[in-house]
Amino acid sequence: MASRAKRLLAIAVAAMMLAAAVGLAGCNGSDSNGGSGTLKVGVRSDIVNFSLLNEQTGKYYGLEVDIAQELASRLGYADVEFSTVTPDDRKDKLLSGEVDCLVACYSIADSRLENFDFSPAYYTDATSIMVENSSLVTDVTQLEGGTFGIMSGSNAGPLLAIKLNEMGIIGDNIISNTDEGTQYEGVYVKKFPSYADLSQALEEGEVDAAVMDGSIAGTYIDDDRSLLDVNISDQLYGVATQKDSELSPRIAEVIQAMLDDGTIAALIEKWN
Amino acid sequence: MSKKLKIKAAILTAFVALSVVVMGFIVSSMQDDISLSNYSADIQHEMDDLPGLLESAQQETEQNTQTFDEIYQSKAESVAFMANNNTGYEPTDAKMVEYKELLGVDNVMIVTRAGEVLAKAQDTPAVFSYARFNQLRTTFDTGEPSAAVEVDFAGEGETWRYYAAAIDADTMAVIEQNPAELVELIDSTASVGAVLSGVSVGQTGYVFSVSARDYLVSYHPNDAYIGIDALDAGIDVADLENGSFSWMTFEGERLFCGVSEIDGTYYISAVPESEMTASRNLTVGVVLFIFFSVAMIVALYGIFVNREDEKRGYNPDNYVNLGGLRFNKAIGRKAIVLSFVGFLAVLVVTFYMQTLFSLSAESVSSNERASDIEATITRTNEQASALTDQYNERYLSKTEVAAYALDHNPELKNKASLQELADALQVEYLYVFDRNGTMTVTNSPYSNFQLSEDPADQSYEFRKLLQGVDSLIQDPQPDEISGELRQYIGVTLRDSQGDADGFVQLSIRSSRLETLLSTVQINNILDGVKVGQNGFAFAVNKADGTFAYYPQSELVGRDARAYGLTDAQLKDGYSDFTTVDGQTYYATSFESGDYYVYVAQPESELMTERVPLTVATAVSGLVCQIVIFVLVTFEIRRRNEGSLDPDAKPANWPLDDDGNPDSRMFDSLMPDGRVVKTESAASRWLYTSLDWGEKSAEQRVLTVIKVLVGIFAIAVCLAVVFKDQVFPPDSVFSYVLGGDWVYGLNVFALTMCIMIACVVMTITMIIQQLLKLLAGVFGSRGETMCRLLSSFIKYASIIGMVYYCLMVIGIDTTTLLASAGILSIAVSFGAKELVSDILSGLFIIFEGEFRVGDIIQVGGKSGTVIDIGVRTTKINDGSGNIIILRNSEVSNVVNMTKESSYASCDMDIEYGESLERVESILQDEFPNIRRRLPAIEDGPFYKGIVALTDNSVTIRIVVQCAETARGQLERDLRREMKLIFDEYQINIPYPQVVVHQPIVYKKATLAEQLRADRFNEEQKAAAAARKMGSDDDYEEEERR
Repeated sequence: MASRAKRLLAIAVAAMMLAAAVGLAGCNGSDSNGGSGTLKVGVRSDIVNFSLLNEQTGKYYGLEVDIAQELASRLGYADVEFSTVTPDDRKDKLLSGEVDCLVACYSIADSRLENFDFSPAYYTDATSIMVENSSLVTDVTQLEGGTFGIMSGSNAGPLLAIKLNEMGIIGDNIISNTDEGTQYEGVYVKKFPSYADLSQALEEGEVDAAVMDGSIAGTYIDDDRSLLDVNISDQLYGVATQKDSELSPRIAEVIQAMLDDGTIAALIEKWN
Repeated sequence: MSKKLKIKAAILTAFVALSVVVMGFIVSSMQDDISLSNYSADIQHEMDDLPGLLESAQQETEQNTQTFDEIYQSKAESVAFMANNNTGYEPTDAKMVEYKELLGVDNVMIVTRAGEVLAKAQDTPAVFSYARFNQLRTTFDTGEPSAAVEVDFAGEGETWRYYAAAIDADTMAVIEQNPAELVELIDSTASVGAVLSGVSVGQTGYVFSVSARDYLVSYHPNDAYIGIDALDAGIDVADLENGSFSWMTFEGERLFCGVSEIDGTYYISAVPESEMTASRNLTVGVVLFIFFSVAMIVALYGIFVNREDEKRGYNPDNYVNLGGLRFNKAIGRKAIVLSFVGFLAVLVVTFYMQTLFSLSAESVSSNERASDIEATITRTNEQASALTDQYNERYLSKTEVAAYALDHNPELKNKASLQELADALQVEYLYVFDRNGTMTVTNSPYSNFQLSEDPADQSYEFRKLLQGVDSLIQDPQPDEISGELRQYIGVTLRDSQGDADGFVQLSIRSSRLETLLSTVQINNILDGVKVGQNGFAFAVNKADGTFAYYPQSELVGRDARAYGLTDAQLKDGYSDFTTVDGQTYYATSFESGDYYVYVAQPESELMTERVPLTVATAVSGLVCQIVIFVLVTFEIRRRNEGSLDPDAKPANWPLDDDGNPDSRMFDSLMPDGRVVKTESAASRWLYTSLDWGEKSAEQRVLTVIKVLVGIFAIAVCLAVVFKDQVFPPDSVFSYVLGGDWVYGLNVFALTMCIMIACVVMTITMIIQQLLKLLAGVFGSRGETMCRLLSSFIKYASIIGMVYYCLMVIGIDTTTLLASAGILSIAVSFGAKELVSDILSGLFIIFEGEFRVGDIIQVGGKSGTVIDIGVRTTKINDGSGNIIILRNSEVSNVVNMTKESSYASCDMDIEYGESLERVESILQDEFPNIRRRLPAIEDGPFYKGIVALTDNSVTIRIVVQCAETARGQLERDLRREMKLIFDEYQINIPYPQVVVHQPIVYKKATLAEQLRADRFNEEQKAAAAARKMGSDDDYEEEERR
């Protein structure tokens, strides 16, 4: 009886040792396999074709996701960890180091360059105007006297005003400006808390046109809607990193390489 | 077993194992190739169809939307027409409710150009002033109803579709309608899911779709998989290439897939591996089993013979020396027969399994295709009737609108207004009839018409409307004049009192309905149906047996029976070979409406598949057989083996036997001079089987074969019993068991017969084994019953099996049963002996006349009963000879079974001998006898004098003994007695002839003669005087 117990113990010990050895081997394997750990990337969760979180699989899909994955593998990371950022918290998350970089429809702007480093732009997006086909609007001039919708907080509003002013559709003065909307001479720009609300207002006719970035418009466009052939402004999306971090030059280099060898063009083609 | 033999056995085992593996590989890979090429063709076929299907689904969506829109546009226009034509229109909510009811819509509104709602049937969430509704305002410019505007009011959870028609320059009629009906229609007919769910690949295969962008599953028959990541599910991204065929793993299931990429979506046509392997494993398994059995039998035979030779010594006559090798003729002769038969068996089984495999696959796919076609026909019919209903309702509503307008404004009864009304309603012609049934006004060019009074005429039916029936919808009929499909619908017009005052009738000719109804035609459905590579579908009219559709159009309308079909084949559910126009097809039929529809595939297609595989199997089988044969029959000759030198003839060769006289096996000489092993008669009916060691090589091989057959039977039996657990529902096996094929002499029927035979054999075997066990538990009576039951079960199962198999093979068993009556009479004459044997057998058993193990005497024959059969009784006479008695001849039985018996011995003694002396001698000698004869259980006893015969006194001595020992003991006892008598000079009388010398007899004198005469006379007179009667009479009385 005793000898049997001893034997069992010996077997157990051997098994544990074996398991430990295997575990160690596994660790070594992953380390030597390339890359040191995980690249933490902040991405959007709601932008079709750029980065969309699939609730069912818990995974992100889209152009930016593919770019981030390629980026990480070229940087030598073994793995990529995606986390959702929103326009509200993306700054903080990057600054706090919660994410290593943002690949999140983040446009390169002078104000942002003060705080962050940007890679070369991997995508150029145009802010555009979406209308319902049934409104029979095909040209922006038809919208004179109409209502525009924007998402509050986005920089689409000022850009739109500039553009409309350039086109002579609105005058120079702002008649009123509230949280609800801005009354320009000629058009009223209504603000909505989210793109979904904006889209619904367009659906019901509350606004005659919705102004949004091309990347976002992709989410809300359907057969009954169209984008007017007018470009309010171009947005250049780049990978943002903390100012002067050691990742910045490496990421910039890799993104440039991906632009040069056509990888990004191919990915854009895929998701377009 | 010698070392040499051991090595040989090891080599043989290794080779058999190797060849089975190789064979398995060859057969299964070829089988896979065939399956894969079949499935590839099927998948390719689906892939080629897919773009068309998606396209037509798209078109259908558009067409459905257009139709839907047209209806409501027409309704909007009707409102506008009524508003403009003095039919009591006023822009009030009440009127709108009335219109809403009349038109059967969700809401009717009057809206100004600016978007102000003037009147409405119910509230609307829409704000018409928004630019969003500019589309509706186009009606002011065009004068036509506007295109639809669909708005999703997420806040209210409603979706509405709007249609507008201008009433005047500033107001328009707006119809608000919930598009749920449209959405549902599109979902059910034209969505990707609806299209893909209708597509089947192989038997259980399906199509699923994966987005080319994010690899999410966008459609899968299993809803749980929709939305999951295809790459996570196991699909390799490299396989997702347009036009590629590959094996994929999806959620743990291996699938053979073909991929086609259409518009950013991969459509993956998949066939589960399980479908392929189920059939393949069965086929391969059976072929391999047979192959293995054959190889093993030959190899084992060689080893058995070698082993026997080793034990009994070698016969040099059996060997031929070939250089360093020695060829064993004895093995060779039989092994070559075994090998050859085995080779044939493998060949036949492979061909058979191939035929079964491909036929059932064919049949299943034909059935599949047939049910597809059937479903198409049903669906098209349903669609047609749904559409007809829809059209009826729609046009009835239009007619009601026309009636409403005409009732409210009789002024409209003129050609121009009717034309306007017809335009608004989007119908071709309107006719107004007065209360006499005379057409008063119409916009059609055909203006002079009176309702017919002949009930046979098409228009007669409308007279009902004049009697006050509200409406009449006539089925579409070909027009009497143009032959076009045209439909008439009428609604009664009423005067101010509400009495019928003529009616308005509209006539429509819907090209859509017409197209749809024409697609229901059988030739339209069957045209273009492709099955396999050269298969097709055709239809035969039920009524007259003519071809309703055949790919070669010249056959259509001809009598199918003139082209090779038989009446037996013109039925529902036919599934077998059939010949049409000299070509043999494998056809499956089903019934649909007035037709029998057949799905046919050419026979040659089947053949091309199975022949190469059979040949490959046969060739590799042959090679293996040859190698095994060589290994078995040749051995390396070694001269220096000393005592084992096979060339030196053993001194006592040939050994006749193993020297054991009780051996149940011995050599016997066949009539043709061959010496074979045979089993002694006495051992044949023993329940106990031979010891392995006693068996000859041939018998061992037979035992091996028996075991193999048993294993096979049990395996098949288990498979049949547990078919649901073992096989998928669409495997060959289930197909055969399902019985969806035609009874007849075909491969399915044969398979079925084999399966039945296996099941019956297994069950019988089990029951017999059980009975054997029981027989051991109970006594001899139990044994008898068990043996009887056993043989009864044997006969019953064989008769039942044969009967069922005959039925399966297509012999009409009812006729057989009917003829059995006549047959039994015929048989009972011919076989009355047999019947009486069987009856006697039953009585022997039930009356318990004797049992197995009893010692009986029947006629002059006696012995131990070893078997009571249904027909015969078998008796062992004690010397190993088996007497087989027909039961009917078993009569006057002496059952001598008792615990102890008596052996008796009668001895004769001369009268002169002193009995006392003899008895005292016996007293002295009895103990000696007892000692000398150990079989005596008790005694001997002196029983006294049996008889005083003419010449001797007979005394009797008995001993108690076992019945079995009685005969011998009696003989021994007589010997003992004789010896004793000799010793003591007791004479045993025997007939002796004593020869006497002849003597001369003296003659009587005359005086003596006279005295004698006188004496006679005196005596007679004296007797008569005393009435002593006749001496003769007395004597006779005495004798009685």
